[in-house]
Amino acid sequence: MHKPYSNKAWLGVLPVVLVVAFSAVIPLMTVVNYSVQDILDFNSRFYVGFEWYVETLNDTRFIDAFKRQLGFSFTVLAIEIPLGIAVAKGLPKTSRFTPALLILLAVPLLIPWNVVGTIWQMYARSDIGLLGVAINAMGISYHYSSEPLHAWLTLIAMDVWHWTSLVALLAFAGLTSIPQPYYQAAALDGANRWQIFRYVELPRLRGVLIIAVLLRLMDSFMIYTEPFVLTGGGPGDSTTFLSQHLATMAVGQFDLGPAAAFSVIYFLFILLFCWLFYTSVMRRDNE
Amino acid sequence: MSVITLDKLCYRYPGASLDTLADIDLSVAQGEAHALLGASGAGKTTLLNLLSGLLSPTSGRVLFDGKDVSTRTGYARNVSQVFQFPVLYETLSVADNLLFPLRNASMSKANRQARIDYIAAEFALEGLLDKKPPQLSLFEKQLTAVAKALVRPDVSLVLLDEPLTAVEPQVKWRLRQVLKKTQADLGVTMIYVTHDQTEALTFANKVSVLTEHGILQTGTPTEIYQSPQHEFVGHFVGSPGMNFLPSETLNMSKGDTIGFRAEWLKLKDTGVHFTAVVSAKRDQGTQKGRPYVLLTLETPHGQVFFRGCADVAQGAKVGLYVTQFVLFKEQRQVDAGYI
Repeated sequence: MHKPYSNKAWLGVLPVVLVVAFSAVIPLMTVVNYSVQDILDFNSRFYVGFEWYVETLNDTRFIDAFKRQLGFSFTVLAIEIPLGIAVAKGLPKTSRFTPALLILLAVPLLIPWNVVGTIWQMYARSDIGLLGVAINAMGISYHYSSEPLHAWLTLIAMDVWHWTSLVALLAFAGLTSIPQPYYQAAALDGANRWQIFRYVELPRLRGVLIIAVLLRLMDSFMIYTEPFVLTGGGPGDSTTFLSQHLATMAVGQFDLGPAAAFSVIYFLFILLFCWLFYTSVMRRDNE
Repeated sequence: MSVITLDKLCYRYPGASLDTLADIDLSVAQGEAHALLGASGAGKTTLLNLLSGLLSPTSGRVLFDGKDVSTRTGYARNVSQVFQFPVLYETLSVADNLLFPLRNASMSKANRQARIDYIAAEFALEGLLDKKPPQLSLFEKQLTAVAKALVRPDVSLVLLDEPLTAVEPQVKWRLRQVLKKTQADLGVTMIYVTHDQTEALTFANKVSVLTEHGILQTGTPTEIYQSPQHEFVGHFVGSPGMNFLPSETLNMSKGDTIGFRAEWLKLKDTGVHFTAVVSAKRDQGTQKGRPYVLLTLETPHGQVFFRGCADVAQGAKVGLYVTQFVLFKEQRQVDAGYI
């Protein structure tokens, strides 16, 4: 069949191209542009090639922040995914309380990031916070503002509190979509609870869990507001993650060139992690 | 492989004001292929769930080999089930799917493998053993599901819940052939639940017709077709269903309604029972060189169908003779015979 050919059709794509250009491509390219320049002030700037990239990758503060970031992201993932599945499994599927429980679960997701940070900042304070005072009253010394380990534990607890619901809600949606005959058949086969989870539920949760892991991986890798409000990156720089380190460079010290190089590397890492995760999952599917 | 007996089985859903099933009595012999035929809403699914142990009867008993298993789980009853769509463990290979029901059984590893090989051969699944369900066609998946239901050598009852629903129409008959063959080969007791009379009549040794009023008749497919015990059975089974006319048409006083199949009618010129006008005609081929037709006839007492060899045109007036009949009184059969 002869297909009509018209270059005018390209005009139809133009609005999208413009929107994407202004919202994504141009800002990103600005950053890329900055990352290859040394900017003293807006009138004196020099092209420096990949110097900032080399410097950033060799910067021990960047490397430390990167390690902390990895530690944080994988710790919260390792807790939130299993815990979210467990919560979803524990929810009654058909009960008159189910809607109320779902709404209750969604509450932490509706709270703005810096409010979450503030809540935990106060909640965990060892002088006036309910949690901090309670722990200290039990005879356990707990001071998140001075002890790096305590600061870490508090941050992780906060993130788990904030985001486990997301995983739980996704997993719950996945669980309720499993047709009843699968459970019936497994029961007739004499499958125990673990086998039902392993061979009936988990394979059918795969899709939503991939989404959950991707969302939490990207999001936790970009975490900024909550640690900023809770610990300010401290004590010392023990809870300074990538985004906070970046903010200090760009806004605090106005090192636009290195900060831009940092941003590009940061962006590429998130992209890389998600791509690695996604392709490894999809490759297993095709096997 | 067991004798299945239902004894005055009743079931009422919690909160319901009426029994979904009331006083169901049924006996299924060992190794029998039994079809439960019923329209939707007749309680087929409820009965199935009572047999599979998903529900426990409100009153009455379910007996397997004379043993009361009413409150036992389906696993304890050794029941297996095939569902409307293929239910398999999607991440396991066909071989592992077949192994799954055996892994909790007390069997040696060699015996398990031997059993799987035997079942795979029976269902011609040898080439698929290493594949996973997503790589299979719908037909192969359902075939695997049936094989999985039959893999346990101690299975007492295999329930089939409209197993051909999801399969492509072109291969339905193939799956039905495989089902019939393996049922005969393995001698398992099977209960096949369906609303499709063709499936029921071609698959089963015995058919039970289930309605909201209980089981109306249990019998061989021929009995069900030739000698319905209840008007509904005659009406429900057969395509078209049985013709019914007031018994006065044939001067029969023992009952109130006379029933006859479309092919029990003869076209005659003299000595007829009644006359009718041909209102519609459908050709169904030829037999011995004469056109074989399905006629819709308008009689003074109502509409009837005729099937057989006839060379008549639409609008023609014909004389009809009933050669075989079933007589009903208050919907129950009171007499049957030839004229």
